[in-house]
Amino acid sequence: MSTAVAARPALGRDLRALLAELMKLEHITGGLVVAPDGLVIAADLPREVEAEPLSALAATLGRELELRGPQLRRGTFPMAQFASVSGTAFLGSTPVGFIVLLGEPQADNDAVRTALRAAVGTVYRAWAR
Amino acid sequence: MVFARIWHRLGGRRRRPPTSAQMFRQAQRLRDEGRFEDAAELVADALIREPGSVVGHLLAGSLHMTLRESGQARTSFERVLALEATQPRALLGLARLALEDGEAKTCRDLLSRALARYPDFPEARALLDVARDLAPSADPKRAATPVLVPPAIPVATAARMPAVTTAPTPAATQAPAAKSATLADRLRLPTESREALFMRPDATLVFAEPRGPRTEAVAARAVKLARIATAVLARSGFGPLRHAVIEGAAETTYLRTDDAALLTLAFDRDVTAATAVSHLERVWGSCRSELA
Repeated sequence: MSTAVAARPALGRDLRALLAELMKLEHITGGLVVAPDGLVIAADLPREVEAEPLSALAATLGRELELRGPQLRRGTFPMAQFASVSGTAFLGSTPVGFIVLLGEPQADNDAVRTALRAAVGTVYRAWAR
Repeated sequence: MVFARIWHRLGGRRRRPPTSAQMFRQAQRLRDEGRFEDAAELVADALIREPGSVVGHLLAGSLHMTLRESGQARTSFERVLALEATQPRALLGLARLALEDGEAKTCRDLLSRALARYPDFPEARALLDVARDLAPSADPKRAATPVLVPPAIPVATAARMPAVTTAPTPAATQAPAAKSATLADRLRLPTESREALFMRPDATLVFAEPRGPRTEAVAARAVKLARIATAVLARSGFGPLRHAVIEGAAETTYLRTDDAALLTLAFDRDVTAATAVSHLERVWGSCRSELA
């Protein structure tokens, strides 16, 4: 998965296609690409999850991490994961916005993080001027 | 005569300059294509022609936020509100900027204004839930204020001090840093850890290693982050935050929390996740015992 994403830099421009690739990961149940202002760029979420409030919060979380994560004084973050007992939210930071993936508890966190990291890198390369 | 006719035809074909509305539409298209700087330039040009455009200032604010230009975004949203006092997107944008700045009360006021006018505004409602949950002590700006009294002594540490006489014992008079060092010994912090913070849900610091003038603010920000993350998880249909891993450029922060406390440990990037998580769980167990 990560290789597929990394090998197609053009994919980084098409954020819907990029999200669709990430949604193929096992035990990933939803995904979202949101601009830093909170507007949804692409979404593929379970029916019971509303895109607008989630995107507003995800953008707020992303900005908080960019400005001052727990490590706080040391600049930007490429990726973060937030877990509860019933599921995990993964968040990646790119120049055009934040990629959010929702995973079941049995999702392979390392595999998801690796794929998300690759996707973030792909977006960076595609949008570099 | 012929020349005049040709000149007239060429002149007739000459394009009229686009209207500001057309420029805003074009800027929106550029934005959708991810050409944010180009879009922002076009909006700025269009706003020179039509400075009273709510749409233009709103688009400018949105673009500035996307470009992470918070100050300019704030100016744009304020201009929108000067033109239309209850414009919901401008109120939401300013509320988000206020939350970024640690101004939870301002954030709540702005969102309340938006919801009073537009009760069906899910983004504003979701953000208001977070801002309401942020206690004043979890406001990083307040926490950044220089503390004039010594930092709180860990409750469990104070309770274990020997009470032989009513006179101050050496332990009771030792500097907070020394007490912290004692607790650090008991917690057996991993040597690889670059920073350890243990706090209550209201951001009251129980323990920090190392501890500096900005440690209280760092703790407050960690609590704020945990609140927002919990809200994201809730909106995703999941339970409250329990673990987090945040990769930074130079280090990775591991977070563990429950309803009563929050612990963060920061490690260099070369420490494996398995090692870091193992340390985190062990220190978390020790921290929770100290609080019990």
